[in-house]
Amino acid sequence: MPDPLIALGTAVLIITLAAFLFWPEHGWLARWRQTNQLNERIRSEDALKHIHKFEMKGRRPTLESISGALNNSQNDTAQLIAAMQANNFLTVADGEIHLTPQGRDSALHIIRAHRLWERYLAEETGFQQSEWHGQAELAEHRLTPAQADALAFHLGNPTHDPHGDPIPTADGALVAHGGQPLTTLPLDSPGLIVHLEDEPEVIYAQLAAEDLHPGMVVRVTESAPERVRFWSNGDEHLVAPIVAGNISVIPLPEDEMEEDTDGCERLTCLSPGETAVVVNISNASRGPERRRFMDLGILPGTSITAEMRSPGGDPTAYIIRGALIALRHEQANLIKVKKTGD
Amino acid sequence: MTVQTGATQAILETADSLRWQIGREFHEHLMEDIYTDATHIADRAVTRPDEKPRFDLDRTIDRLVTSRIFGFPLMILLFTIVFWLTISGANVPSSWLATLLLDTIHPLLKQGAAAIGMPWWLDGFLIDGMYLATAWVVSVMLPPMAIFFPLFTLLEDFGYLPRVAFNLDNAFKKSGAHGKQALSMMMGFGCNAAGVVATRVIDSPRERLIAIITNNFALCNGRWPTQILIASIFIGGLVPAYLGGLISALSVVAIALLGVLFTFLVSWSLSRTLLKGEVSTFSLELPPYRPPRIWQTIYTSVIDRTLIVLWRAITFAMPAGAVIWLTANVTIGGTSVVEYVINFLNPLGILVGLNGVILVAYIFAIPANEIVIPTILMLTVLVTGAGGGAGAGVMFELESQADTLALFYADGWTLLTAVNLMLFSLIHNPCSTTIYTIYKETGSKKWTAVASLLPVVMGFVVTFFVAQIWRLVAGIG
Repeated sequence: MPDPLIALGTAVLIITLAAFLFWPEHGWLARWRQTNQLNERIRSEDALKHIHKFEMKGRRPTLESISGALNNSQNDTAQLIAAMQANNFLTVADGEIHLTPQGRDSALHIIRAHRLWERYLAEETGFQQSEWHGQAELAEHRLTPAQADALAFHLGNPTHDPHGDPIPTADGALVAHGGQPLTTLPLDSPGLIVHLEDEPEVIYAQLAAEDLHPGMVVRVTESAPERVRFWSNGDEHLVAPIVAGNISVIPLPEDEMEEDTDGCERLTCLSPGETAVVVNISNASRGPERRRFMDLGILPGTSITAEMRSPGGDPTAYIIRGALIALRHEQANLIKVKKTGD
Repeated sequence: MTVQTGATQAILETADSLRWQIGREFHEHLMEDIYTDATHIADRAVTRPDEKPRFDLDRTIDRLVTSRIFGFPLMILLFTIVFWLTISGANVPSSWLATLLLDTIHPLLKQGAAAIGMPWWLDGFLIDGMYLATAWVVSVMLPPMAIFFPLFTLLEDFGYLPRVAFNLDNAFKKSGAHGKQALSMMMGFGCNAAGVVATRVIDSPRERLIAIITNNFALCNGRWPTQILIASIFIGGLVPAYLGGLISALSVVAIALLGVLFTFLVSWSLSRTLLKGEVSTFSLELPPYRPPRIWQTIYTSVIDRTLIVLWRAITFAMPAGAVIWLTANVTIGGTSVVEYVINFLNPLGILVGLNGVILVAYIFAIPANEIVIPTILMLTVLVTGAGGGAGAGVMFELESQADTLALFYADGWTLLTAVNLMLFSLIHNPCSTTIYTIYKETGSKKWTAVASLLPVVMGFVVTFFVAQIWRLVAGIG
């Protein structure tokens, strides 16, 4: 029998080593895979994506902007651009970088794969909103055009990704989302969120935390250099202008904005015994969860009565079409209702 | 097919441009409208004579069983009664079956075999090996199963179990699991295979996988006897006789609660690592209360369970009995095969505070955990050469606990061995029936492998650390 102290020490050492090697995302194995993935093809695809994005915005991509986007030194980027030029992906003339038709096709495929993958993650998996982008960044380089087509077919040929970015078609047709920054929307007039920018991640995380989604109606009540205040879905939001600038909206006719009710607009605010009528299911609820709601008969016009709360405080049981169904707080919060007196 | 004419081209182009105009979530809207139309049609067509969906009695019972004050105590009380009825009620039929199958029929078969002049190896292989293992599993397993499951089914039919899930959901939610996992876990205390099947009530894919993988941490019926025996001879023996029963019962309960703790811990980490991307949708229907159909439930439940137990005993325990007998009786150079394996595993067993015999017994007991103790006893006699056994490859249990204790001490057992055996009995691979059920339920080799290997690795890690720390604190054990 080995000395317990030595055995213990060895075990702790082995576990530490294993954790160091195999820890998800930060372990040696994960890092090694990451660097291995940063090969020539992937960097060239990322560069194509960047150039295409700038072209769409009417800006000029430069050596510096590409280096910044790829997180690369300018020397490496210059080499990359030379290689891409040799592969007939882009032309450099008078210091201006332009995509060749072949380069544009490749860029559109990458964008298509990225947005389809985000859509897939949103519709058919349980990954959190904040995880979609990072995973799609990896998947976009893996999917072949044939696989992207199969995925699009499987998802019912969606037109937009969950952030509101249009998904290019297989022939490369791409329309802009057509929105304007929330900061340019006139005060007190309604707008429809059409797009949330998912880069940089820090700002997107704030948008996700504010529970904002494409398809929501907003109305700006205050726009100051240090903050933007707006109403959406019965909640007041207060964000920095840089965050608000990443929300794109299209103006709506005045009558589209429903007047504010007494403040109770979600199923969660019903106390046991109170009844409300469903207005809609939030756009944040997608895929299987949304279908489950509809299966249960939670549809616009359905009358729902809160019946009792679990002794643990959550979930709450509701009477829906004569059946007693328990829903958790986060779920009930996705259902917009209008309270009725009883 | 055909050459595209100008007209088809134009149609396709129009379709393409319309595609961008019909709006974002047009599939969702379309589906929502179809559902809404369907409900409108149904509302028009279906008349409900007296609109009174919830009866007052239902409401009163609900108020009581989910109340902040009475909800939890009532739940604990009901489950205590169920477990008490199972454990105390199963003792009597278990000993009847043991007397009949092990003490009466087994000697009769032996006599019969001797009368017709059966060679010793065939007699041993068939009767001491295959028959005895099967009989053992039937006598230990059948009575508790036949009591526990009808009781559970009655509670379910009445409509109480969904309320338990409702009450406990918040606790399970914190570990990323579903409230209904409380029910499959309870079922797991009866039988893990049944518990895995019971996860069908969980309709959310991720939570269902969590419930399947962690069901093994519910201490099943086949493991209770091991826990009770070891606790009463080693731990109960530490305190004065009048406290012995209480302390050993408490230590078994502590092991079962440790299992619940592991269920939560493993659920929590699985939902954040391996199962992160699986789909999760929660909803829990609380059906109206119904008077249970007592006799029908008891009849079908008993018949079902009896058939399942017999099937399991025959398909899994019988071959195991044959293998045990063979390995104990086939010798190479005067030493039986099983002793080679024991000697090989002994260093590992000692390292984690167990021994080679226990590890071998757990390999043999993969088909059925019920035979762990008889196998350990048989192998210990074989290894130590002590008297009192029933012969190589013949499983037995000793009449007196003092004899059992003496036999274990003769093989170098300590209190640490006993504690680690109890821990390992809680945290090790599921039995082959459960593994097979997991495969059938998940249809995935990957999740079956995770559910089978994760607990056994955890078992070695836990017993290893307990052993080293124990030895450090106690000097050398």
